[in-house]
Amino acid sequence: MELGLYLHFPYCISKCPYCDFNSYQLKEDNQISSYISALYQEITAYSQKLKKSNIKTIYLGGGTPTILSGVKIYNILEFCKDKFTIDKNAEITIEANPGTLDGEKINLLIESGVNRLSLGAQSFNNLFLKKLGRIHNTQEIIDSYYLAREAGFNNISIDIMFALPDQITEDIQDTLKKALSLKPDHFSLYNLTIKPGTEYYKEYKRGKLKLPDEDEEFDMYNWAINYLEENGFEHYEIANFALPHKRSKHNLIYWQNRPYLGIGAGAYSFIRGYRYMNYENPSRYIKEVMSGKLPVDNGEKLSLRKRMTETIILGLRTKDGISYKKFKKRFKVNINDIFHKQIKKLVNLGLLQRDDDRIKLTRKGIFLANTVFREFVD
Amino acid sequence: MLKDYHCNIENIRNFSIIAHIDHGKSTIADRLLEFTGTISEREKREQILDDMDLEREKGITIKSKAVRLYYHSKDEKEYILNLIDTPGHVDFSYEVSRSLAACEGALLIVDASQGVQAQTIANINLALKSNLKIIPVINKIDLTTANPDRVTKELQNISEIKEEEVILASAKEGIGTSDILEAIVNKIPPPKGSSNLPLRALIFDSIYNPYKGTIVYVKVVDGVIKPGMFIQTMSNNIKYEVVEVGIFRPKMQPIKKLTAGEVGYIIAGFKNIKDTQVGDTIIDASNPSEESLPGYKKVTPLVFCSIYPVDNKEHENLKAALDKLRLNDSSLFSEAETSEALGFGFRCGFLGLLHMEIIQERLEREYDINLIATTPSVMYQVTKKDGETIKISNPASFPPKNEIVKIEEPYVKVNIITPSKCIGRIMDLVQERRGSFKNMEYIDEKILRLDYYLPLNEIILDFYDKLKSISSGYASLDYELTGYQPSELAKVDILVNHQLVDALSFIIHKDKAYTRARKIVEKLKEIIPRQMYEVPLQATIEGKIIARETIKALKKDVLAKCYGGDITRKRKLLEKQKAGKKRMKKVGKVEIPQEAFLGILKI
Repeated sequence: MELGLYLHFPYCISKCPYCDFNSYQLKEDNQISSYISALYQEITAYSQKLKKSNIKTIYLGGGTPTILSGVKIYNILEFCKDKFTIDKNAEITIEANPGTLDGEKINLLIESGVNRLSLGAQSFNNLFLKKLGRIHNTQEIIDSYYLAREAGFNNISIDIMFALPDQITEDIQDTLKKALSLKPDHFSLYNLTIKPGTEYYKEYKRGKLKLPDEDEEFDMYNWAINYLEENGFEHYEIANFALPHKRSKHNLIYWQNRPYLGIGAGAYSFIRGYRYMNYENPSRYIKEVMSGKLPVDNGEKLSLRKRMTETIILGLRTKDGISYKKFKKRFKVNINDIFHKQIKKLVNLGLLQRDDDRIKLTRKGIFLANTVFREFVD
Repeated sequence: MLKDYHCNIENIRNFSIIAHIDHGKSTIADRLLEFTGTISEREKREQILDDMDLEREKGITIKSKAVRLYYHSKDEKEYILNLIDTPGHVDFSYEVSRSLAACEGALLIVDASQGVQAQTIANINLALKSNLKIIPVINKIDLTTANPDRVTKELQNISEIKEEEVILASAKEGIGTSDILEAIVNKIPPPKGSSNLPLRALIFDSIYNPYKGTIVYVKVVDGVIKPGMFIQTMSNNIKYEVVEVGIFRPKMQPIKKLTAGEVGYIIAGFKNIKDTQVGDTIIDASNPSEESLPGYKKVTPLVFCSIYPVDNKEHENLKAALDKLRLNDSSLFSEAETSEALGFGFRCGFLGLLHMEIIQERLEREYDINLIATTPSVMYQVTKKDGETIKISNPASFPPKNEIVKIEEPYVKVNIITPSKCIGRIMDLVQERRGSFKNMEYIDEKILRLDYYLPLNEIILDFYDKLKSISSGYASLDYELTGYQPSELAKVDILVNHQLVDALSFIIHKDKAYTRARKIVEKLKEIIPRQMYEVPLQATIEGKIIARETIKALKKDVLAKCYGGDITRKRKLLEKQKAGKKRMKKVGKVEIPQEAFLGILKI
């Protein structure tokens, strides 16, 4: 079995007000040590069962994985190589926050085998960076970027957020132009969503956040797609853009609904049709692992119907869409036998396009993807 | 059956408690119940008499209730006291008048620091109308801000109350309870009737009990009523056999008979609560009294609206729920109707807006049905070219203009008692509601009484709330129907995507049509989510567009991120959204959320 491996690091220097990820401000350094011990424990627990699996990608996400020292990251990856079978051409990505990188750390990352860097820039405007609660400024993004390039990273992605409070289209244009001037290999472009439980949510409820309206958001996103495509980037997933051969292999595993193992607090796994989630709270996670159990909080065995639905709504996120042949091979049934009505309706609405072997979102469909996906869920 | 306490009519006292809101009516009642041992410490609950959830939440009494207390007086006599609790809202003023008609006296509760309020005066007027002996009680004398001397003078200014009659009390501290009880037995006269005359009993409320059927609350004015007797009401010839009579302690307790002066309940074979209308007289079928008790009116609904289930599958449940509510509420009217936009529903009639709200809330809360209710309307009178005069409450069934000779709308005489400092803003409010001034009178230097004529249509929606708000809760409102007057009314239709949504049509005075139509299309634009294409919203009178807005086409509906575990959450979110869309009403191709129908009510 081919497998993606995800490792979660839930700690950050500070918690950003918009963030609803499973992340926590780091209070004491010894939290990290006991968390890493738990990671080792969990990896060990899986190693026997999954020894025969071929791990094609590794992704270190967070939180802020680069809050760890270079040596710690090196040791963790060595431990993984010891316990699992890792493909010699595996893509190994780490999420990095500008402001948590230095020359020594970067070099150790290279030595650990990390070959892809995802840089959480978010904006190239200091005003917006400050409002987002980021710990870095624009200059630090540039510095981190060149540090990584010089150390030998030839696959760097930059994260950008848009539709920020008080942002207008010109602001995002400015940010993207600056980001592009660095010549990264990949962009992830997200619109800000206000999530319950965050500081932004409270402000939003109190009417304190002035967010761009739907039309302005459309303009920003539309402009960005055109701009990046004109500059040689392939819009290969709703929120992701890559130069040729620089698509994120790990994330493609998610979008193709293929199996992955998640290690760490709150990490999700999808193995043999069973999707489950670890305990989110790091202390709880550590406690469960240390008492010799798998730290699984909840999970579900997906019905055939749900697996088909999820495969479609994930696959339609990508430029490749859904292949009839692959669908048939995977589920032993024609997609049209099950979803003919939905597909026909969406094609008529101009949201889906169909060719001999494929359905995929039209340009209009990309902007209205949720309207498309809702047709497929029950 | 406990002790059968049959004392002389001379030893019966029937009274109610009247008070401005928050002056302590419920706590006084609690103290009286405790002092007389009617209810033990253990059974005590806040506001014992208000046992419906809604009543406790809204702090108002909806149905009338009664409770019998036994009191051993200081001069060593045994008394039966019946406390009759009345509804406290203008919607229920007829019910209040009938409950008061069952009494001979009333405790008037006034807050020792707030003093006489507009509602106090309205209460005194009500009590005097029913010829009740008033016992003034100044409550909350334990407050540091209490000023009983000032309040006593205020009371004397507005009524014939004598200083020595005033009782000082603190229900919270239990002060004055025994004085109140002594005053009840010594000052309030006993009931006037006689057990030797043919039976006449006043119905002041009735409830439906699934096991016992309709239970009628009565005061026996003359004669005796007991199980086995054949009875009927004055307005209806159907005979019923009495199955049980009893008293409230406060739970129902059967006794052998109820005699003149007593308050209690009757269970007979009443099939329908409509057979036992509030204010009607119960008589002995074998020895019928000739004379009915005064004051009986057939209750007619004043406010109408249509009620539809959000989910059409709930139609049968809604019907069953309305039937059940009607068992307990003879003033609720309902009949089936169909709307093109909303499907199968009911046209309902209510005593007033509060009554309407209560019914809607009970349907949603107790029967768990999601409702769409249309804008409330009154009953219009339309004279057609063919000479026919029809009564219409539903804008959807208004005849086209070219068939109409004239439209008349109901008017009410409104009586407002208010602190004089609010007069300016009240006059503005009445002006804005097409009111015409009739009379103004100072009751004392701080309080005055205003009389107006107003179209009923203008006061049903939020007039009472507005009045309360501009007078900080102090003004009181009373109104009675005076008849119909011709009016320049227009029917405004709302078109969504060029399709008429019948449930959104409304009748309005033509001077106000434009402004309201504007507000409504603006509000709808806010509430109706963007669709796949542009949706025009139009308000029209007789096909002529008077307001329009456009809902822009949906442009962006996409969640940016979706990685590892997100798919589970995302799928669930999409499923939830899809379920939400199913709850919307589809008019043509447009999905209209429930809030659209509710939202425009609030304009």
